[in-house]
Amino acid sequence: MERLLAVLNVFSRIALIFGLMLLLPIGVSWWIGDGVLTAFDEAFFGTMATGGFLLLATQRFRRELRANDGVLLVVMCWTLLPLIAALPLLLGIPGLGFADAYFEAVSGLTATGATVLSGLDKLPPSLNLWRTELHWIGGLGIIVLAVAILPMLGVGGRQLMKAEVPGPVKEAGITPRVTETAKGFWVIYIVLTAVCTMAYGFNGMNWLDALMHAFSTVSLGGFSSHDASFGFFDSPVLEAITIGFALMSGISYVTHFAALSGRSLRPYRRDGEVPFYLGVLGTSVLLVATYLWQQDYYAEFATALRHAAFNTVSVATTLGYASTDYSKWPFFAPLWMLFLCSFVTCSGSTGGGLKMMRAVILYKQVFREITHAMHPNAMTFVKLGGSIVPNKIILAVLGFGFLYMASTIFFTLVLAASGIDIVSAFSAAVACFNNTGPGLGLVGPDSNYGVLNDFQVCVCSFAMLLGRLEIFTLLVVLTPAYWRK
Amino acid sequence: MSNPLAVLRVFALVLLVFALTMLVPAAVSGYGQDSAAGAFQFGCAITFASAMLLWLLTRRHVDELRVRDGFLLVSLVWVLVPAFAAVPLLHFFPAMSFTDAYFEAVSGLTTTGATVVEGLDTLPFSINLWRAMMVFLGGMGLIVLAVAILPLLGVGGRQLFSAESPGPIKETKLTPRMAQTAKGLWLIYLALAVACTLGYVWAGMGWGDALVHMLTTLGLGGFSSHDASYAFFNSPRVEAVAIVFMTLAGMNFATHFMAVQRRSLSFYWIDPEIRWYVGVMYASVLGIALYLWWAGTFPDFLTALRFSAFNTVSIATTTGFANTDYAQWPFFAPLWMLFLCSFVTCAGSTGGGIKMMRALIVFRQVMREVVHTVHPNAVLPVKLSGAPLPNKIVFAVLAFCFAYMVIIVSLTLLMVFAGLDVVTGFSAVVASFNNTGPGLGEVGPATTYKSLSDFQTWVCTIAMLLGRLEIFTLLVVLSPAFWRK
Repeated sequence: MERLLAVLNVFSRIALIFGLMLLLPIGVSWWIGDGVLTAFDEAFFGTMATGGFLLLATQRFRRELRANDGVLLVVMCWTLLPLIAALPLLLGIPGLGFADAYFEAVSGLTATGATVLSGLDKLPPSLNLWRTELHWIGGLGIIVLAVAILPMLGVGGRQLMKAEVPGPVKEAGITPRVTETAKGFWVIYIVLTAVCTMAYGFNGMNWLDALMHAFSTVSLGGFSSHDASFGFFDSPVLEAITIGFALMSGISYVTHFAALSGRSLRPYRRDGEVPFYLGVLGTSVLLVATYLWQQDYYAEFATALRHAAFNTVSVATTLGYASTDYSKWPFFAPLWMLFLCSFVTCSGSTGGGLKMMRAVILYKQVFREITHAMHPNAMTFVKLGGSIVPNKIILAVLGFGFLYMASTIFFTLVLAASGIDIVSAFSAAVACFNNTGPGLGLVGPDSNYGVLNDFQVCVCSFAMLLGRLEIFTLLVVLTPAYWRK
Repeated sequence: MSNPLAVLRVFALVLLVFALTMLVPAAVSGYGQDSAAGAFQFGCAITFASAMLLWLLTRRHVDELRVRDGFLLVSLVWVLVPAFAAVPLLHFFPAMSFTDAYFEAVSGLTTTGATVVEGLDTLPFSINLWRAMMVFLGGMGLIVLAVAILPLLGVGGRQLFSAESPGPIKETKLTPRMAQTAKGLWLIYLALAVACTLGYVWAGMGWGDALVHMLTTLGLGGFSSHDASYAFFNSPRVEAVAIVFMTLAGMNFATHFMAVQRRSLSFYWIDPEIRWYVGVMYASVLGIALYLWWAGTFPDFLTALRFSAFNTVSIATTTGFANTDYAQWPFFAPLWMLFLCSFVTCAGSTGGGIKMMRALIVFRQVMREVVHTVHPNAVLPVKLSGAPLPNKIVFAVLAFCFAYMVIIVSLTLLMVFAGLDVVTGFSAVVASFNNTGPGLGEVGPATTYKSLSDFQTWVCTIAMLLGRLEIFTLLVVLSPAFWRK
């Protein structure tokens, strides 16, 4: 109980910071007068009042965060902040149910990009901005943001970052001066966003669209302000820009950070994941393009390549834009893309899924077992980026990999039991759990999650949270052992 | 590799014994004057001649088989023997392609039970007997394989008990222990066979049908002599007998052996798997019955329970009989059944899948990782039956499960690539790989695998072999390191 209150105290500070984020859409709404200013105002004051009250009420219990408190704080932030984030949507969009609003907010913060809203083009721009801003805040991590801003989190920050930053080797790259690291990450993130906005803006998007799409591109989210997503722009140049920034965002921020602070490109070459990441993506783009061309879906190879490149990179990096309704493609192509999104992005990036590093470790471990079958007493090692991966980490990765697949099966079964067809159920489970966004069938790129009932929407929200927090963080808080003294 | 020729010599002996078993259907055919007599004589002659020729060529290479030779021998037996088993089928069905005949033989010998033959009721008895005998023989080979050989190779789930069995594992000679273990286990198998036949006759089957179905029940194969499978009998009593013997055959034969030898039922309780096996399976029977009743598929609960019990146990134990077209049930039920068949049966049984033993270990490893997240430095062994498991085994088991899932995903992608819809593709792969038999969609219980193209049939054939040989046996033989001096 004491732990709960202490954590609640920190949480209320984060909630206040989060409330300030509402000022951006408030400003935009005021400037262009799109009619939802009151909704944002009410949400803003509601958040500030609740946050302030919580802060005062728990001030007595304020203490230095201990190890393991971090896990609780992370879970609290990720499950409760969507409530705040959902407020403007609930107030500004008449007829939107609570389950749907929470789903939309979770989808935003987890950088998933699955939406229950249709008629995005007619939505007030400030609401669209808020949706993409959620991507942007959640993409790099609420906690990473909090650690960078709140000096009081400096000491326990290491624990906190470990609970939120995705990937198997959490310590790597998080320097002892954890506040500096978090700040460094955010600087890179902001620079990427700014450059991306300009690239979009100078190549044909209006500036508001450019900002929104930059937000959702660098966070690998996938919300768009148009129902047709990138099909609306139909511009190869914009698509190329998106591919470029999606690829960069799928690489570990630790590597970006190292490259920037050392002012050299060497860290990219020495990174154990990047060669696999780019290799698998490049091969898949060519494979899908050739497949579509050979199946006569596109008459010309160049067209096939354009659409294959954009949609494959978009889905595989867990971004989730679409330039065409790829669920109409011969079934192997979208299935392959969904398969990719479950492992392609690098650990420590803004992407979701199993992460390339774990996939490589698992793959190497299988070969190690083959060697072991022949030479039972051989001493073999799994190496990554030139260094040996300790057995402890391999065990953790294997356990995670298994839990990951079990969760996918679990969500598919639950969704199928609730009455949707298997393709929709499976693809929704995969797309939500990997924080990708659009699935296939009922929830394909041409449609949205609005067709699901409340129960199914809640299942998908849970899947997104579980995926973003890499299962263990959420699971730990649910075990009795965690609450024991 | 000590001496591949010595392995071939042993293989020739195995083939010789196999040729002799063909005399049984040949005799039945001759006695009953049916049209298949020529087919069996031809098949028997070819197999016998090939075996003799091979033996004559290699007879001088008498050499003790070492552990590594085991991989080659096992792979050779399961890949080549079906080719000979297919000869009578090829001869009898002039229109059948080699692909289909080999598929049918592999399906029999791996105790899968997927068939490409239609019009089973009109076939001569001897042909159906031969199909069922392949399942039975495959089951016999399998028990030895699972209990005596694979543990020595460090592959099967039973490797866990290698500490109990006498003698060090390293460089142990394969044959003497094999023979000793095999005799005891086969006695149990044969005793169950007699009991099962009598049970079926008591329940009202004719002797011929009882024989055929006994052979496929104990092998957990699932071939039937009727297109309608058990719906042909439409008798709850027959189904009850089948359920009892399928349940028994899905248990570890070593446990049966111990229980008989020491005349005590306590071994069933000590066995770490059996309570989970029985618990999960029968809880699912109840769950599915309730679900079907609730969904209105069956008007009263008892009917729902009858159909749920038979089909769930049949699929979960990887047998594959059906007494109704369960593919028409609400989709969650068959999906859950397919899910069960991938892990429910015990190690050392004739069932397929990853086995309950591995599932338990993986589950406990996952729990261990959860605790590790809270207490990073805690020393926690994974325990089975109270004894801690060495990490080496945990590694092997986790890597196996990972390879298992990767193979399902890749083969499903391959099937979809080859043009199947995803339900058919996925269920065909799962049903083949787990050696279950019927899938869903085009390959559902009411249809056969005949509609698949040659390429798709081969994918299923390979899946059955990979599943039967627990993946690594085949992978090891296919790895270049195996053939290096």
